[in-house]
This record gives sequence, C-alpha cells and structure tokens, in this order.
Amino acid sequence: MSTAAATLRFHRSRTRRFLSDYGQELVVLGAIVLLFIAVGAYNPRFLSNTNINSIFAGNAYIAVAAIGMSMVIISGHIDVSVGSLIGVIATIAGTLAVSGYPIWVAWLVPILVAMAINTVVGALVAYTRIPSIVVTLGMLSILKGGLISATAGAWITDLPADFMIAQVRIFGIPSPVYFMVALTVVAALFMRYTDFGRAIYAVGGNLDAARAAGLNPEQTVVGVFTLHGLFAGIAGLLFATQLQVIQSTVPPNLELTVITASVIGGVSILGGTGTVVGSTLAAILFATIGSALIFLNVSAYWLRAVLGLLILATVLADMARRRRSV
Amino acid sequence: MRADSQSASAISLSHVSKSFTGLKVLKDVDFDVRAGEVHALLGENGAGKSTLIKIMAGLYQPDEGEIAAEGRVVKFATARDAHAAGIATVHQELLLFPELTVAENIFLGQAPKMACGVLDWTAMRRQSRELLDVLDSPELDIDAKIGNLSVANRQRVEIARALSQKARVVIMDEPTAALAESDVQRLLDIVLRLKARGVGIVYVSHRLPEIFGLADRVTVLRDGVRVGTHHIREVDESSLVSMMVGRVIDRLYPGKVGASGQTVLELRDLSYRSTVRNISLDLKAREILGIAGLVGSGRTELALTLFGITPATSGKILLDGKEVRIDSPETARELGIAYIPEDRGLQGLIRSQTIAENVALPNLDRLLRGIFIDIGRVLMLARETIAKFSIRARGPNQIIRELSGGNQQKVVLGKWLSTEPRILIMDEPTRGIDVGAKAEIHQLMRKLAADGMAILMISSELPEVLGMSDRVLVMNGGRIVAGFGEGEASAEAVGAAMTRARSSMDAA
Amino acid sequence: MNATLLRHETVLALLVCLALASLAFLSERFFTPENLLNQGRLMSEVGLVALAMTFVIITGGIDLSVGSMLGLSAILLGVFWHNVGLPLPAAIVLALVCGTLAGLVNGAIITRFRVPPLIATLATLALYRGLAEGISQARSVRGYPEWFFFFGQGEMLGVPFQLWVLALATIVCAVILGLTPFGRAAYAIGANETAARFSGIRVDATKLWIYAGAGLLSAIAAVIFVSRVTTTRSDMGTGLELDVITGVVLGGTSIFGGRGTIIGTALGLILIQALKNGLALSGVKGDGTIVVIGIVLITAILVSAIIDRSRGG
Repeated sequence: MSTAAATLRFHRSRTRRFLSDYGQELVVLGAIVLLFIAVGAYNPRFLSNTNINSIFAGNAYIAVAAIGMSMVIISGHIDVSVGSLIGVIATIAGTLAVSGYPIWVAWLVPILVAMAINTVVGALVAYTRIPSIVVTLGMLSILKGGLISATAGAWITDLPADFMIAQVRIFGIPSPVYFMVALTVVAALFMRYTDFGRAIYAVGGNLDAARAAGLNPEQTVVGVFTLHGLFAGIAGLLFATQLQVIQSTVPPNLELTVITASVIGGVSILGGTGTVVGSTLAAILFATIGSALIFLNVSAYWLRAVLGLLILATVLADMARRRRSV
Repeated sequence: MRADSQSASAISLSHVSKSFTGLKVLKDVDFDVRAGEVHALLGENGAGKSTLIKIMAGLYQPDEGEIAAEGRVVKFATARDAHAAGIATVHQELLLFPELTVAENIFLGQAPKMACGVLDWTAMRRQSRELLDVLDSPELDIDAKIGNLSVANRQRVEIARALSQKARVVIMDEPTAALAESDVQRLLDIVLRLKARGVGIVYVSHRLPEIFGLADRVTVLRDGVRVGTHHIREVDESSLVSMMVGRVIDRLYPGKVGASGQTVLELRDLSYRSTVRNISLDLKAREILGIAGLVGSGRTELALTLFGITPATSGKILLDGKEVRIDSPETARELGIAYIPEDRGLQGLIRSQTIAENVALPNLDRLLRGIFIDIGRVLMLARETIAKFSIRARGPNQIIRELSGGNQQKVVLGKWLSTEPRILIMDEPTRGIDVGAKAEIHQLMRKLAADGMAILMISSELPEVLGMSDRVLVMNGGRIVAGFGEGEASAEAVGAAMTRARSSMDAA
Repeated sequence: MNATLLRHETVLALLVCLALASLAFLSERFFTPENLLNQGRLMSEVGLVALAMTFVIITGGIDLSVGSMLGLSAILLGVFWHNVGLPLPAAIVLALVCGTLAGLVNGAIITRFRVPPLIATLATLALYRGLAEGISQARSVRGYPEWFFFFGQGEMLGVPFQLWVLALATIVCAVILGLTPFGRAAYAIGANETAARFSGIRVDATKLWIYAGAGLLSAIAAVIFVSRVTTTRSDMGTGLELDVITGVVLGGTSIFGGRGTIIGTALGLILIQALKNGLALSGVKGDGTIVVIGIVLITAILVSAIIDRSRGG
C-alpha cells in the first residue's frame, strides 16, 4: 500500500474513532446549533443578548451540578438528592449573608457543607455496599425536610450586593457562564489527565478489575462524592444569587434534570464511560429548547412533554447505536 | 525436590496453609517457580489451586507459612505489594475495562506521567505498541476499546499488562479455556517467548496435552495437599490423573450399548440470520450425536435456535416427522426439548436461590394445585432429583451457590430431566468440571441414551467428542462441513474439518 | 433465602410495634380508631402503587413514572368527563385504561427496546407529566357529582372505602406474588433474568404485565385521590415515586431484585405513615417527619445489611 493511501487510511480511521467515541456529544452540539439557526431564523429576537444571556447564564448552575453528577454516574453510582442539596446550600448561603457574616464565609461555608454531606453519603455507599440510589433516596428525604424546616416557607430577601456572585459581569458576560465553561474544562482535564480521574472510569467500568489493578475503589467512591459535593455547592451558590431573593424551594425534579443532562450528554447509566463536556452541552440544550418553545409560541405547558420525548428519542437512538456496534 | 541451580527461585511458598470459615483449603503446601521455567499446577476443582495463586498474587494472606521472592522473605498485604515484587496474573475471567482502550487497560494504575504529574498519553500509547510487538501482535489496535475485542485479543492485553509491570512471575489461570484452536497455538508461542525472557510462569490448566507441550515441572494438588512435584519427563497422563483423583479412572468415556432408535428430530436447511446457515441433520433416539467445532463456529447458536431463544429465520424443524415452529424456550420445552447451557452459572441456574426453586422453575405449570404452587410437590421433586443424581447437598433448601461445580451441573441436568424431555441438547457438558465428576456425567449420558433419549452433544474437547459420540458432525462458519458415521471419526479427520480455512467453504 | 427474609420482616414488624407503642405513648390522639382509620385513608394511594412497585423492583426494575402516571390519569379523568362530556363512570373506566396503557408503554420500551428501566421511566416521568400539564393547561376541573366522592371520602362498615380497596388489592397481590407461578417468575427474573429465560419463563410477557399493572394501580390511586380532594390538578402525584420506593425498600425488597414480599411492603408503609402521623400529632412539623423517614430508611437498610452479612449472606 502506498504511503499516501496508508496515511489517508490512518486519518480516516482516526476520524471515525473520534466520531464514534464522542458521537453523543457531537449530536447534542449539533442539535444546539440547529435550534439556534432554525428558531433564530423564525424569530430573530431569539438571538437577542437578553435571551442568550438567560439561556446560558440562567441555567449554568444546572450544568455545574451536572459535572459532579456525571462523575458520580461514571463511577457507577447515582445521586437523587442533589436537587434538595442545592436548595439547602442556597438557603445556608443566603442566611449567612443576611446575618452579617463576611462574604467569603457566606461563599465558602455552604460549599464545605455540601462536600461534607456528600462525603458521608460516599462513605456509606463505599463501605456498606448499600446501593447509592437507596442512600441518596434517604438523604433526599432528610434534606428536603431539613430545607422546609429551616426556611419555614419563607424567602430570603435583602441580600447584600457583594454576595451576589452570579450577578457579576466580566466583559459583559455574566459570571455563571465563566463558571460553567471554566469548571467544565478543568473537570474534563482532570478526568483525562489525572490518576484519580482515570480511577473513576476504572471503578465504574469494572470494580473487581480496579481492585486487582491495585486501585482502592472505596477511596475513589468517597472522593467522587466529595467532588460532586464541591460542584453541587458551587451550583447552589449560583442558584442562590441569580435572583434578588432566595426561594424556599428549588425547581421540581431538579435532580432528575441534572441526571438527564448527564445521560443525554453521553454518560452511560451503567458507568465507566462518558464525559463532563457532554453533560454541560446537554444542560445548554435543555435551556435552549425551553427558550425555543417560548419563542415559537408553543404553550410553555408543553415544555415538559417535549423534554420527555427528547430524552426518549435520545435513549432509543443510543440503544440502537449500541446494538449495531455489538 | 532439590533445586537444580543454586540461585533462589523467583517466588517460593513454604509450608503455606489457609482456611476459610473453618474449612482448611490449603495444608502445608510448598510451591516454587524459577526464572525461565513453566511450572504447571494441576488439580481438580476445589483442590486449592485458585487459593494458592491468589496467595501468590497478594489477594489472600496465608494463615501459616511464608513467601519468599528471590530468596528474601516477603509479605504481600495487598495486590499492589505482589505487583511490586514482580508477580502478575492473567485471570481466567479477564479483569479488564470494556469501555477503555487497549493502551489504557495495559497501564491503568501505573500510567507514565509527564513532568508536572499529569498522564502522558503519548508515552502510554508508544509503550503499549512496543509491548504488543513483543507479543507479536502488530494487528492489535492500541486505541480500540476492549469491549470490541475478541477473547484471545483481550487475553493478549492482559499479558501485555503483566509485561508492563516488569513481571518476573506470570500466573496464568486456565488461559486456553475460552480460546479457539488457532489462538491456543499463538498463546503457547507467547508463553515460550516469555520463558525465553526469563519470566517464570505458573500455568494452571486442565488440558493435559498443553501441559505436556509447555511445562518443565508439574505440581499436583489434591484436597489442599501437595501430592507431588515432578519434572514433566517423569510423568505421563495416567499417572497425573491418578495423582489428581487419587484413584484410577478407566471408564472416562463409556461406550455405546445397543442400536439407535427412530429419527426423532430432523432439521432441513435451518438458518438463523448469518450465524446458522442451512443446517440439515437428523437425530435418532438412543444415540449421542456429537457436534465438534471451534469457538465461534455456530454450534451454540444452532442450539439456541433449536431451543427457541433465537428462533429460526428460515428452514424447517421436524419432530417425529411433523413440522413444528419453535419460537420460545417454553415451546421447546413443551415439545420435549431440553437445553443444558454452556454457561452454567449465568444461563443454567439461579445461584442465589435454592435447589428446590431451581428445579421447579421449568416445571411450574405442572406443580400446581389449582392456580397455586404446590410446595409439597416442589420439595418432593427436589428430593427425588437430589437422590437420583447423587447430588452432594444438605437438602432441597440449600442455596446453589454453596455447591461445587460438578454438583451444580448435576442440578442443571436434574432440573431439565424432570421436564421429561425426549431430546437433550448438552452444550459443553463437562467444561470446568473435575475428572471425577466428568466420568459421572458421561456415565449418566450413556444411561439416558440407553433408556431412549436422543442427545445432541456440543463439545470443544476433541477427546470427549471422539470418546462419547456415536456419530460426529463438524461445524465451521455456521455450516456443517463434515459428517462421520459410527466408527468413522478420527482425531485427524475431525480436527482437519474444524480448522479448514473459511474461504474454501464459502465457495461451496 | 426464606430465613433471611423472615429476619428482615421480623425486624420490621418489631420496629412497627415499637413505633406504634411509643407514638401512642407520646400522644393520646394517636391510638384512637378514628385517627388510625383516617391514616389508613391517607396512605391508600401510596399503598396501592407500592403494591405494584414491589413486583417491579423484585424483577430488578424500577418505575420512576408512577407519580406522573397518577397525575396524567387524574387529568384525563377530568378531561373525559368535563371536556369530552362522557358520563362519569365511563370517564373513570377510560382513565383506568389510559393509565394501564401508559404502564404498558413503559414495559414496551423496557422489553422491546432494551432501555434500562431507570432511564426509560425517567423519560416517561417527564413525558407523562408533560402531557398532563399540556393537556390541562394548568386548569383544574371541579364540580364532580356527590356519589363520586364516596371513593375517596366514604365509608363501608365504618372503615374508609379506599382502605377496603387497599386491603383487597394487598391480599390479591400477596397471593399472586407468593403462591403462583407468576410470582415465582418475577423472583426468578430479578435474581437472574438470563437463567429465567433459559428455563422457559416468558420474561418479556411477565414484565409487560407488571409494568402495565403499575400503570393500572396508579390510575386507581388517581381516581381515589381525585375523589378525596374533589378536584383534578396536573401536579398531582409529584414525588409519589420516592414515597413509594422508600416504602418498598424499607419493607425489605432488595433494589437489585430477586427478594421482597408484599407483607414487607405493607409493614414498611405502615411504619412510614405511623411515623408521619404520630410525629405530627406530638407537635413535630411536617418537614421534620420527612427528615425522620430519611433517617429511618438508611438505618433500616443498614441494620438489615449487617444482619445479612453476619449470617454469611
């Protein structure tokens, strides 16, 4: 075979490999672009600054939470309590802020609390072999009840201006966008280029093989949950400072939105594969669809149904793709 | 045994004992491996081989005795310690990560790093390529996902991993059990290459021909005790078998009694997609029809089509001359067909349930009182099965997981025979079973045939095929490529048909 | 296997007695017939769905969409009666049919397309809730005739109607699960689906029945719910799946499948309801009880796991 042909073959197979490894992420990216083009053509106000702002900045916290969730799912576990956790974190942060504590305390303490709570969850999951869905189900109850107790339904208002981290703008772009992009990039690099990042994939891919390879699966699982707490904490902060008030509830089914973002983004619920870039893109896709529906004059009440159909379509396509490659 | 050379062994175990929950699994065992030698480890299931190699690999700690690596006494608290001492294992159930690439699998946990501490993927890929070249596997793509590779290739990745750990001792646990004939040859070549590099190899296998081809020394374990260690030149097959079993087995393959009966099953041009192609055969009562072939030749696929798991896409099945359509295992069972599966643990039994529950499962609709299950009859059926097949168990309520491999296979047999089938399809009936239980199962098969059963036996062990079958069919690439009547089959002819090149057949 | 199960149910039964005793001690109003019967009324909806969920989880699956199926059935009930103008009995039957169909769709996605149940029902949770929201456009339906309220608020022989329904359903489910081939098939599928298939069990058919059953019971619960609160709204049943799963898991059903009993589920639900009520009566706020339930769940599972481990399980 001539060298030219051989080189061409090599590059073509590299491209094919790239497409098959990152297929899901590319599909999601493509869908986002398609939507922007299509809806933007139909209604140019879709592409206005305010709207783009609300799409990217308003939902950045979901993407940030999805980073941690993706890591947990890749390691072979799941967390159904993250929605309530975000609510609790937001409330703690707001309460600290209005009670006169220094701003860095109001930022740092909630994140540490989130990490602490999730470390406990991770330890329970790793060392007692109780399935993570059961442990986090229990934690969901505890956090939900705790949230209602603590807030007694009241909203927190009069938040100090310098607390509002989500309102900060750099070069006209709201800070949540920077958080989302920066954290995604850092997390992606971490997952690819560090021993611990690869350990997460290993433990989720084949627990026995991980142990036989000399890894410590229990430590990895606890570590993953702690990291997840870090991202959930940051997400909680962003959520808390988006509006001028902190509500006593979080959007319903928030944890399921976060989980779905991971799954649509290419993280397999079976563990061992997927990327954080994918879940961020998927979170952006959801926000885009939500906004698109409004601009297409579709009743907002159909949004949930559309999302449900989208998830179904993605999953069915994924299953079909898996069946073909087997 | 005195060591021939003065240098210390790569690894040696002295007076090692180990117990689990009160049961002594290893008793005062000595074992050592020298650099550049292949030391075979033989023994029936339950003899203690697996425990011994796990102690060497650092997964278990011995209760008594000590381990020495190159003369120095060591303690392996974890698998990591064993790795550090140069002990690597190629497992029977390959411990790899299906979603990760070949390169990453080789270097997981020990990846080359760049100066700043991050993973150096370029170095990883380069070194993987080098290792695979040592193993003469240039066609193996280092960026491929393990999940997409064949068993043989996955095994090569595990061996490459052992090499990457600068292993001085490689433990191979039943490496050829799941390989096709051509891959077995390549593996044996690899073992010889490792040997030439000075690596000591512990070779655990049931396949005596391979052991005679590869090993320098052989150690036999029986019931946790070392029966003997010999140079391979000093022993032959029957002496090894006696050491393993403690008695002489003469009737491993009982012969046929009486003539065959009527044709009960006939297949005409049966196909399933592209894995089963135009199969035509007939099966008579009271005979054992052996189906030989390499892994991947379509034999199990044929069985699954006959049993209704993957119903035929074209062709005919005739039972007693009448055409039938088998579209589910339930239908197959009702027609009197039973399938003893290849993978006993996954397909044959529910290991977390009891003997009674397992035996009752295919018979539920016949153990009823009204619409309710009759527990009395369920237990009675289980007791009958245990008695009829001499299953060593505490009772019908014992959990399958606690039984030995041979007894578990007997439960599978008993379960299906209780459905009173007329046709029995047995897929690798004695795989992974020790010699003693093997003989029992073969006796049973003969008795069933003599009593009228028609048996279709799929086996990858040529001696078993030649020893047990009345007639032999050979499958290759989904088709039947050769058939041998009573007394016509020979090892050469059958072996040749099994390995005939694919291209010459597709032309046919 | 039987012995281990009995262990968990025994522990649970003891816990239930302990809880009932201490709550009776804490508040005089707890152990009165009227309070107990009222609690029975309140737990009927969760109870009915939990019966179906027991089967689902025993086969190794899960159904996160039950709350959405309840909401959708409720909305459809209102739509069929109010908007389409069907007579109420027909609307009720049709709503039950639709609920069953929704469950059947779940089953089809899981069996035909091999989508893992967690993801499949995650998707339908959103889809069915979305349909409920879209169809109702957030409008609620009121004005049902008097006789309709009997289901949710009436009594027979002094006992609330839905409690009779729940009791009957519990007995039927317990019999099916424990004493019939269908029940054995469910256990087998959960313990080892491949082996069950290879043993001649009709795996796909069994699963379809079970998921359809979840849909049907969710719809029945919806009818009772609507009858109790006299209105239909699209957010009904939100969060139901978590209450139900908590009750089932607390009752000893393993999330991995292959183990579990109806009795266990019943005990688990009674424990949760008793805690909720007892704590409320002694002055603890509603949210506090949710916290307690979360702690009870984790503790119960931990204890059960430890007992399992010590028996060499």
